[in-house]
Amino acid sequence: MSAYLISMATYVGFFMILAIALNLQWGMTGMVNFGIAGFYALGAYSSGLLTVKAGWPVGFAMPAAAVVGIAAGALVALLSIRLREDFLAIVTLGFGELIRLIALNEDEITEGPRGLKIDARPFADMFDRTTYPIVYLAMVLAVVALAFFIAERIRRSPMGRSLRAIREDDVVAEVLGKNVLRHRVQVFAIGAGFMGAAGALYAHYVQNISPEVFMPMVAIFIWMSVIVGGAGNNWGLLLGAGIVMAILEGSRFMGDFIDFLDAEKLSAIRVILIGVLLIIILRVRPRGLMPEPRFRYGRSPGGGSSTADAQS
Amino acid sequence: MNMQLFVNGIVNAALIAPPAIAFSLLFGVMRFPNFAIGGYITAGAFAAYAFNVQLGLPLLASAVAAMALTGFIVWLSDIIVFKPMRGHGPVTLLVVSIALTLILEHIIRIIYSAEVRGFDIPLQRPVKFAGIRITYEQMDIIALALAVAVATHLLLRFTNIGKAMRATADNPVLAEVRGINTGLVIGFTWLFCGALFGLTGVLAGLDLVIEPLLGWNLTIPIFAAAILGGIGSPYGAMLGAVMVGMAEELTVLVLPSSYKVGVGFMIIAVLLLARPHGLLGQPEIRK
Amino acid sequence: MADALLKVTDVCAGYGRGDIIHEVSLEAHAGQIATIIGPNGAGKSTVIKTIAGVLRRRTGSIIVDGQEIGGLGASDVARRGVSFVPQEANVFRQLTVTENLQMGAWTDRANYSERLARVHGLFPVLKERATTRAGNLSGGQRQMVAFGMALMVDPQVLLLDEPSAGLSPVMVEQMFDTVREVNATGIAVLMVEQNAIQALRISHHGYVMAAGQIVLADNAANLLDNEEVSELYLGTRA
Repeated sequence: MSAYLISMATYVGFFMILAIALNLQWGMTGMVNFGIAGFYALGAYSSGLLTVKAGWPVGFAMPAAAVVGIAAGALVALLSIRLREDFLAIVTLGFGELIRLIALNEDEITEGPRGLKIDARPFADMFDRTTYPIVYLAMVLAVVALAFFIAERIRRSPMGRSLRAIREDDVVAEVLGKNVLRHRVQVFAIGAGFMGAAGALYAHYVQNISPEVFMPMVAIFIWMSVIVGGAGNNWGLLLGAGIVMAILEGSRFMGDFIDFLDAEKLSAIRVILIGVLLIIILRVRPRGLMPEPRFRYGRSPGGGSSTADAQS
Repeated sequence: MNMQLFVNGIVNAALIAPPAIAFSLLFGVMRFPNFAIGGYITAGAFAAYAFNVQLGLPLLASAVAAMALTGFIVWLSDIIVFKPMRGHGPVTLLVVSIALTLILEHIIRIIYSAEVRGFDIPLQRPVKFAGIRITYEQMDIIALALAVAVATHLLLRFTNIGKAMRATADNPVLAEVRGINTGLVIGFTWLFCGALFGLTGVLAGLDLVIEPLLGWNLTIPIFAAAILGGIGSPYGAMLGAVMVGMAEELTVLVLPSSYKVGVGFMIIAVLLLARPHGLLGQPEIRK
Repeated sequence: MADALLKVTDVCAGYGRGDIIHEVSLEAHAGQIATIIGPNGAGKSTVIKTIAGVLRRRTGSIIVDGQEIGGLGASDVARRGVSFVPQEANVFRQLTVTENLQMGAWTDRANYSERLARVHGLFPVLKERATTRAGNLSGGQRQMVAFGMALMVDPQVLLLDEPSAGLSPVMVEQMFDTVREVNATGIAVLMVEQNAIQALRISHHGYVMAAGQIVLADNAANLLDNEEVSELYLGTRA
């Protein structure tokens, strides 16, 4: 049982990193990313392929995955920086699907649907088999802490302030002379780098990655985490990631009580449950369980709150 | 050989055009990209499957019944899910619509599992003409897509409800001021678009196979067509469908066919870069 | 004097939490023109939007021809014979001129061709440009479309929000002539105008608004003669 808990905690850790990253991109700047699965997959395959096919040591491959994520994020952001947020959603979703398609079809490199087997694990030879999962969990949590720390630093920095100004109203931000485009690309890239790192951690943890894991569904789980927790609030999304995982895993036990459901139906029910909950939360608590503390920037003399908050 | 690809492209375009028109119309009045179209289309395909295979109705009757049922489901999705959230931002509604498409897809999975299915129709030899191969189903698809395009055009141009739809999409406040009950118009738009998604499910089920991911796989090309045509412009969507449909097939010349979905995305990316408002769309004034 | 066709009593309304207009009362009579003047931000447009149902009134009553319309939405208000011409975004840009006019006749399609002929008589250019998309017209022509749309029904009350905004001086003159012409058919006109002097000249009644309240109500002629008013609100425009 404790092995199970450790494994769950590790998965929650992956979710937390992804959620922190999404919170940087969307929660703080309002840049919509539905291609989370794509960046996650990119990180996983980068690190996996670098160790398996290029023979890199895992200690180099994993950071390299983060760098690949940053590069891909910068590219996507540069391409779509001028888009309206709903178009950005479509572009990023398409990006995620493209990455999955490549992983699926370029099977001479990625092994396609058979899955890529990855033997390399960081610090594996220094610990025995029973303590290693705890060590891995500690590593994941260290990355969570690092990502959290960086995200909080950004949030509190002058750049973070101008980012939120962008989110509220990018016309205003431009008038204020903020370097909107550069900040947006930077933040999107940093977020994508976190996602890449999460992918690498995932890859060396499960040691067998295949394209079907990186379905757009991943994006929904992470969006759910951020929305449940409260967009813009890094503490809230840690809670959110935990809740989402609890729902995903908790529903697994339903199978023990309801025996006419097979595994396929159970997993479908789980997704339906997540979807319904997401809709309900957006409806009744659109600002999440732990809303971001109200932030004010140069309000217009006419007063009145910004339009983004007008919904309630 | 290249003529064959051309024909395939037309069939593909015919499959994308009706839902792209519907997506565009819906965007026009609702102002957010509804990702639930994948779920709607899949629901349409399985509804037709239920009528045709499980209840034994003829395909044509099944198609009509499926269109009606899908129209109702889509309308209901507005009443239950979207209507209470009017006034929320596009991103919120977009997340909701993705959640909705997942819900629909997985309800279908619970009922029908992931098994691949087909309609109960006699197998017919494809017609061969000057080395080009085309099935009767594909000819039906082209004919129906044309009929939908013409019917939509007539609806929007010459009927009161059609003009009210355009007026409501154009300026909802003014539409209200002029006495148009925009609530009713919006309800009709959902119903009409729902019927088109249902039809798409039937046609896609004819040309491809019926499975829970049927609609999802069409979503990106549909978005591409609608954006290419200028989102919110139904005529542009028709044009966009032809271009995306052709492009997807013609890439077979240079890329493996499994990258078809990627082509739709590439079109979107390149296009939005060059023209953020699409081909026929008008720039929106940002608030 | 006969009962007012439009009678607004103690109406409060606004956006968000606060009220913009406070206890506004005014009247408009059949065959007469009433004008609301006042500085920017006084709440003039808010009054007219509230009557039109674009904005719901919080308290108070709005009676048209003896029936309470306060609390109704815009489309229901339109069906009670109130025709409103907003100041901005007042045409369907994607629709042709004729389609716009058809939308004007939405609540009452009887006598459509007669009314169309009447609007074409008032604004001949709308006939010439019948198939042009309204979005491609000049500002003045758009204003005619907007006005024409409101006349495609036989309204009891016509509400005009700054009908002269954005028009050239010649066009302003023309617009006010048209307002007078329409009014002569027995319609009650209530308008909001920046162009206070010209508006008051064709009006029977005038209301002066400041800070969300009506501070003065009088004969239009008296208001034009009122020194305080001309100094405060008319002087800058004269």
